[in-house]
Amino acid sequence: MKVSKEWLQEFIQLDVPAEELAEKITRGGIEVDELKDYTAEIKNLVVGHVQSVEQHSEADRLKVCQVDTGDGIHQIICGAPNVVADSYVIVCKVGGRLPGGVKIKRAKLRGEVSEGMICSLEELGINEDQVPSEYRDGIFIFKEAKTAGEDALRALCLDDQVMEFDLTPNRKDALSMIGVAYEARALFGGDVSLPEYNIDEAHLGDDELSVDNEDVQAVPYYAARVVEGVKVYPSPVWMQIRLIKAGFRPINNIVDISNYVLLEFGQPLHMFDRQQIGSDKIVTRYAKENEKMTTLDGKEQTLKQSDIVVTNGNEPIALAGVMGGAFSEVTENTTDVVIESAVFDAFSVRRTSNRLNLRSEASSRFEKSVSHEFVLKALDRAAYLLQKYAGGKVTSQVISAGELDVEDSTIEITGDYINNRLGMDLTVKEITDVLGKLGLVASEKEGVLTVSIPSRRDDLKIKADITEEIARIYGYDALPSSLPEYSKITPGQLTDVQKKVRIIRHQLESLGLSQAVNYALTSRSQAGQFTEVNETLDLLMPMSEDHAVLRTSLVPHLIDNAVYNSNRQQKDVQLYEMGRIFIPRGEAELPLEKEMLAGIVTGDMHRTDWLGVKVPADFYAAKGIVETVFEKLGMSAHITYRPSSRLSEMHPGRTADIILENDTVIGFVGEVHPAYANENDLDGAAVFEISMGELLEKAQGEIIYQQLSKYPSITRDIALVVPSETHAGDLVETVRKTAGKYLNDVFVFDVYEGERLEAGNKSIALRLVYLNKEETLTDAEVEASYNPVVQALEAQGAHIR
Amino acid sequence: MDTSEIGRVQESFDQAVAHIEDLKSLQQLKVEYLGKKGKVTGLMKEMKNLSKDERPQFGAAVNETRNHITEIIEQKTQALEAEALEAKLAGETIDVTLPGRDFSLGSPHPLSLIIENIEDFFIGLGYEIAEGYEVETDYYNFEALNLPKSHPARDMQDSFYISEEMLLRTHTSPVQARTMESRGGKGPVKIICPGKVYRRDSDDATHSHQFTQIEGLVVDKNIHMSDLKGTLELFAKEIFGEEREIRLRPSYFPFTEPSVEVDISCFKCKGDGCNVCKHTGWIEILGAGMVHPNVLEMAGFDSNEYSGFAFGMGPDRIAMLKHGIEDIRHFYTNDLRFINQFKVTEDGGAKNESI
Repeated sequence: MKVSKEWLQEFIQLDVPAEELAEKITRGGIEVDELKDYTAEIKNLVVGHVQSVEQHSEADRLKVCQVDTGDGIHQIICGAPNVVADSYVIVCKVGGRLPGGVKIKRAKLRGEVSEGMICSLEELGINEDQVPSEYRDGIFIFKEAKTAGEDALRALCLDDQVMEFDLTPNRKDALSMIGVAYEARALFGGDVSLPEYNIDEAHLGDDELSVDNEDVQAVPYYAARVVEGVKVYPSPVWMQIRLIKAGFRPINNIVDISNYVLLEFGQPLHMFDRQQIGSDKIVTRYAKENEKMTTLDGKEQTLKQSDIVVTNGNEPIALAGVMGGAFSEVTENTTDVVIESAVFDAFSVRRTSNRLNLRSEASSRFEKSVSHEFVLKALDRAAYLLQKYAGGKVTSQVISAGELDVEDSTIEITGDYINNRLGMDLTVKEITDVLGKLGLVASEKEGVLTVSIPSRRDDLKIKADITEEIARIYGYDALPSSLPEYSKITPGQLTDVQKKVRIIRHQLESLGLSQAVNYALTSRSQAGQFTEVNETLDLLMPMSEDHAVLRTSLVPHLIDNAVYNSNRQQKDVQLYEMGRIFIPRGEAELPLEKEMLAGIVTGDMHRTDWLGVKVPADFYAAKGIVETVFEKLGMSAHITYRPSSRLSEMHPGRTADIILENDTVIGFVGEVHPAYANENDLDGAAVFEISMGELLEKAQGEIIYQQLSKYPSITRDIALVVPSETHAGDLVETVRKTAGKYLNDVFVFDVYEGERLEAGNKSIALRLVYLNKEETLTDAEVEASYNPVVQALEAQGAHIR
Repeated sequence: MDTSEIGRVQESFDQAVAHIEDLKSLQQLKVEYLGKKGKVTGLMKEMKNLSKDERPQFGAAVNETRNHITEIIEQKTQALEAEALEAKLAGETIDVTLPGRDFSLGSPHPLSLIIENIEDFFIGLGYEIAEGYEVETDYYNFEALNLPKSHPARDMQDSFYISEEMLLRTHTSPVQARTMESRGGKGPVKIICPGKVYRRDSDDATHSHQFTQIEGLVVDKNIHMSDLKGTLELFAKEIFGEEREIRLRPSYFPFTEPSVEVDISCFKCKGDGCNVCKHTGWIEILGAGMVHPNVLEMAGFDSNEYSGFAFGMGPDRIAMLKHGIEDIRHFYTNDLRFINQFKVTEDGGAKNESI
């Protein structure tokens, strides 16, 4: 909504500069986005009287004009085709200025002196597509006689500043000049006067026209008046300019009056050509499924049953509240007009205008529901203006159907409630004073205030709404500051899971991985990668192919990140991400949202170039990182790794599933498949992804210290020759199971495969550490537990070297 | 008694030792003179050829020489050892200006830093952190927040729907609705809800279809709007600097009534006007208000007995303002050159000088 200060002053006396007005309105809750000053950059602009126009002898397109500018006759060269003698025009005098930094100087054009410039509306800073068509390619010419030399901006109603509101959806009251006037009254005081709408009743008769609403929910109330004998021509300058300032383009007096009243009252009207309606009936109803109609923009619309149409009893003449129909619209030949002023179902209008992408000034008001109190006032106002500015005669009473509820609603509230919710200490008088400024009458009885709410403020429905009105008009600067006094003191702290998440994040960062945050939406093709989840959650209306479905693995985007960095000379990438994947569970149930930890390493890690040392970012690097996570969560003993070739994007020989408690696969770690890496222009990468839920939920409790052993441990090394495909992990597991209670640790300390061994074999050396914390272990005890180990290993196909 | 032999031995030792330059030769020399078959020991063998009277005198002379040699060897040993150590150290000297072995550090994501800071502040005030679903039902995302299906503020255009009743949450407010509901109508509720949210926006420098939000909610008996103002004042000073002030402007959100926008005084120009605050001296940073009675009622709270406040803010925007980041897409591109700028531990000194 664009609000002209000059126009606003028609309704309320305001003696404040525009900046102050805008600031106060903003602080009152309606944000003034922009304050446009039409006088900015303009100097020495007067009304000029063109006395004569002669052709420039040296230039076909130029005319030599003698113009009275009040201080004498000046010769001005003008290039506009529409300049004529004995007309009043806008002149920027020598020494004057125009928007865009234009300075008007005395000049010579093809030998002729020019002392000033005759201006078009565009040259005054008015948007080209808002200029009425008659002035589109030329200068502006006043319709009525003016005084040469008078201030042209004032004559044009452009001595003005216009506030552009950024309105919140609840403030439909500010979609009208009168509504804004009431808001200004609440902030500045004064009185609001409504515009004139005295209808000349001399011509009233009984028009044949009837109105009927088939569905009271769709159209609770519909009113019309007939105005006959109108002449279609441009509306007066002040009306044109006010419309321009409000962002409208003046068309002709009939259309302009309709828009003008819409702006005054916030009540959208529609003007039909009485003859073209094609019947004496106006019937409103829901459209039929697939019913067709052509709207006045010339487009054929296919309607749905939820759309409301205004019909002539047979076919639609308007799409209710959204746009008029083509054949019933006002044209240059129109003589008799039907003015429509109605109440349409707000939700239906919104749905229709959204679906057909036909959002208009009218629909944006209907969809917030119009103020009942202005429906008939606006109708009469439009009839009055047609009478005054289109030469029309109002020939019908209000022809209406339905009920127009104009009764004020009421809200009951107490001063205590308001003070408690705000934390203030206002008296009942202070409260009723503020309400009074807003035009809300309140009566008090035994401490209870009954507040009357006029329909223009039917956004006020409950006690909290009244509290807000008090607070915003009173001003939030007056609100004291305090801290809550709780009914019960409760500690603030992270949950165990939240703590663990933070710790793991910080740990990974200490290990050299930076934190990535990727989009949850991904492409259909990426959603199938690095996962066995084959169903996805798809958006109904994706904005692009790349963001069409929810991810089912974090890895594809991490691969993208590695590629992105690699393309920017950063080959050593170490990233992790914690985020969710989404697994559908049918339409009726929300998806499973799994908290995942994923990571990627490429190139080299811990690279000290001048020493020539580095850690390759390979399977074992990724696994090493993952192992620290399990260690920190106290889960190492519950985790095993199993070779895996289930993911086609992973290297089948260098990928392991991560298994919790011997049965649940909670993730994987490995190197990406060389073919996949190649397709993605990566030299290779190791990645991991782990479902965190089970790990984080597992309670660890407190740490119980174990007494340090006073006795030495004994180590035994076993070198084994095994078939190449044997897993060291299995051998270690066998040792763990068979070595007895004194086994304190067992680990692989050497792996060898090469010429010193028979082909197809490798050697694995294990170190077993025995310890008895109670007393010194004897060799005999160690030997006793050592033998079953050897037997078990041999049973597994290993040979002791 | 002839002691000239003793003198000769000492003399020859003195001469020999003068030429010794390493510990090994010194050891040999020691053996040559003091060893079992050494020259000094050899002198003692002369004793048997001497008279009883002469022996003590001769013995004393030999001992004197032995002591002399022992002492010299000891001195020489120490000197040579010191020399050897010095040589070793000189040989081991390295270039300490070369970089250390690489233990590279990763960096937290800047959004995590902002979110953790804000979480910690509110934890200090007794809040808990509540998390929720990123895919929500229409009910919790809208209806339970006083946004019925017919509400103009919930155009299908603005949300990513998965089905008629399921969508990507457009704010973290459903967490508030669910948390309140889980409390069975009993306060106090004091929560902070951080998380990712999604809106139908085309990605550009200032818009992202995915971004983060943090909301706070307090519900109890006798919670006043002044409590909201006081809480946010503390917050602004803690997160943006001691001199910050806040300003409440009336606004509209369906789930709060009254609703306000909260501005903080510009941390760059201290309110004088600059390009960060668009020359107003104020930066819009939060939306807030008193929980709408409908929202309380739908979650099972008696709105006459209970009241509450809620506020929400965007860590993306805060991070952009604090760190002077010009393009929101940096947060989701994961360029290491960007993320790795956030390794350093921030503290209270010289706040926001980077802008």
